[in-house]
Amino acid sequence: MLQLAIRSVRKRPGRFVGTLLATFLGAAISMAFNSLHDTAGAAGIDDTSAETLGLSAGVVGGYGTLLVFFAVASTLTVNVRQRASEITLLRQSGATPAQVKRMIMGEAVLVAVLGTALAIGPAMLGGRLLLDMFQETDQVAPGVDHVFGPIALSAGFGVTLLASAGAAFLAVRRATRTAAGARAPRARLRTAGGVLALLGGAGGVAATYAIDPAEPGLMAAPAYGAILLSVGFATLSGGLLRTLLRLFGRPIAALTGAGGYLAVHNTRRRAASLAGVLMTLVLFTGITIATICIQVVESDAIEAAGVGKSVEDKNVETLNLVVVGIIAAFCCVMLVNSLYAATSYRRHEFGGQRLAGATPRQVLTMVATESGLLAVIGLFFGTVAGLAGALAFADVRLEAGLPGETVLIWLGTAAIAVTATMATSLLTARRALRTPAIQAVAVAA
Amino acid sequence: MRLVGVSKVYGDAESAVTALDNVSLSLPTGSFTAVMGPSGSGKSTLLQCAAGLDRPDRGVVVVDGAELAGGTEAELTKFRRNRIGFVFQSYNLLPTLTVLQNTTLPLRLAGRRVSRERARTILAQVGLADRLGHFPDQLSGGQRQRVAIARALVAEPAVIFADEPTGALDTRSAREVLELLREVVSAHGRTVVMVTHDPVAASHADSVVFLADGRLAGSMTEPTADAVAERLAHLGDVVAAGV
Ligand SMILES: Nc1ncnc2c1ncn2[C@@H]1O[C@H](COP(=O)(O)OP(=O)(O)OP(=O)(O)O)[C@@H](O)[C@H]1O
Ligand SMILES: [Mg+2]
Repeated sequence: MLQLAIRSVRKRPGRFVGTLLATFLGAAISMAFNSLHDTAGAAGIDDTSAETLGLSAGVVGGYGTLLVFFAVASTLTVNVRQRASEITLLRQSGATPAQVKRMIMGEAVLVAVLGTALAIGPAMLGGRLLLDMFQETDQVAPGVDHVFGPIALSAGFGVTLLASAGAAFLAVRRATRTAAGARAPRARLRTAGGVLALLGGAGGVAATYAIDPAEPGLMAAPAYGAILLSVGFATLSGGLLRTLLRLFGRPIAALTGAGGYLAVHNTRRRAASLAGVLMTLVLFTGITIATICIQVVESDAIEAAGVGKSVEDKNVETLNLVVVGIIAAFCCVMLVNSLYAATSYRRHEFGGQRLAGATPRQVLTMVATESGLLAVIGLFFGTVAGLAGALAFADVRLEAGLPGETVLIWLGTAAIAVTATMATSLLTARRALRTPAIQAVAVAA
Repeated sequence: MRLVGVSKVYGDAESAVTALDNVSLSLPTGSFTAVMGPSGSGKSTLLQCAAGLDRPDRGVVVVDGAELAGGTEAELTKFRRNRIGFVFQSYNLLPTLTVLQNTTLPLRLAGRRVSRERARTILAQVGLADRLGHFPDQLSGGQRQRVAIARALVAEPAVIFADEPTGALDTRSAREVLELLREVVSAHGRTVVMVTHDPVAASHADSVVFLADGRLAGSMTEPTADAVAERLAHLGDVVAAGV
């Protein structure tokens, strides 16, 4: 089966581009930040430098790695789900569920190893650039050399392998059960996971209050909280989506015509399977809002203290800017990546709709309506998760509410999220519509 | 419905397959025609070109008195909506819509008034009155095929094309489907063109058109199952003889 997995990856590399990109970027980010741990642990390094590096790796390496885990897992879920028909075929030609599971998981692990291996070079470079930034801002002694060692490597391989194999396992379990003719398993495990994530997120946010406001690592707690809340909300968003459509389905369809009618029914029936795409969207919005707001509050706090920025504060500020930039960009790429995978996979479905009498414009209206719904839900939950983290931090650090810039931050984040969501799905759909309908239906059938 | 000199070639220069080679065919309004021929002889291609689902490389297709011109996909779709119903071999029902919703879909897409009453009546005719709220994956193959037929009928098209509508059905459901198609012709005066491999199914039609290697290879009126089977068996020889 491992051989089958290798052959399958080699024969149709195109299918794995999305997961390869996800594991590559994820591994690069977590390894770059975790290499600072290796650097800090090297012999002969002075205490201040070691502390700065350790803090940075601890805070960012920590929640960045958590973020990578969920982003990679959701991308994998979107990708493996698309192979349901292939899995059915394998099952029908005599493969046992265990064999199918080994094959799909084998592929996932193979791609993860490849992606992580490819990421080593860029991660070394990225880690060195980070170190340079610390040295330029005098937070780390100039003589310190960058070390890329066991901590970076184990973090990179660990997180991508765990996320890939775990997501593949769950997705394939679902697919084989459905293929075996059983009804799709009830989403009890998912619900439990979502509730756990919400509890963890609430715990993270609450933990902010238990930490000394002057503690430099304070922002880790609300950041973890925002990530876990995002994950929990995304997992449980299916129910809300369905409720929303029960209430507003008719007006939406009335406004957008037959395209919107299809969108409403699609989304209603597939609400649960949208969780993967939704997770990347909620993560992007939540983590971007949370970290930028936290950074603004932190700067305000330092100003309010009326002293010049200490080395530590500067450290945190640089670090946070880098983090916000890198992490937000990463989430945005993952969002585009999973939306692209999810939409290009629908070529067959679009073909069926066109044969049933839908014009290309009606199909595009459908896609636009679906993306719009997705964006609204994603923004809503992302905002709640992000603001929860930011609010807790502002409360503890400054004993104040959210800063005035929050509105601008929200607007910017929302604009990017909506643009990325709509543009990716519409452009991908338009490309899918170039295949004549008859062929689009034949290919996947 | 009329085809004049229709040709269709698949693939590029090296691996070109001539699926249809200069086919001309005229079917009167209110007729029930079966199209038969060996696998790969171009039956599906013929149906798809005639229905405006695919574009022929050469030739003219006239449906319900109007020429099916090149145009954009949207124009072709709008042309099809009001004149042509198509029953796909693989049903092509939308999985997220119920039986009733699938049936009324062509009306919705065309922006026409959706008469649920009418859709219910048609679904009752095809024996699915008690399945309106089911989703396609909760139906048997025969039931799905009947939904597909109901959907093709709902917009009251002048011509209905059916690609192997009984291919996946047992004898009894097949007969029901055929009787349904027959009724569409006799009661509503529509034109029905059906591809089939089954001489018994073909015997329900008014006439049979034979196709071999993308060319017409004769026809037969008032077909019986035996005569059709006999003709099919000799189709290979006729082609070889260059007719
Ligand atoms: N999309 C395509 N690309 C290339 N060749 C095609 C395509 N579709 C059909 N063909 C070829 O055109 C010829 C006619 O195909 P068609 O599907 O019309 O046959 P058919 O008579 O319907 O066969 P069957 O009874 O098996 O359904 C075949 O040789 C087939 O291989
Ligand atoms: Mg065919």
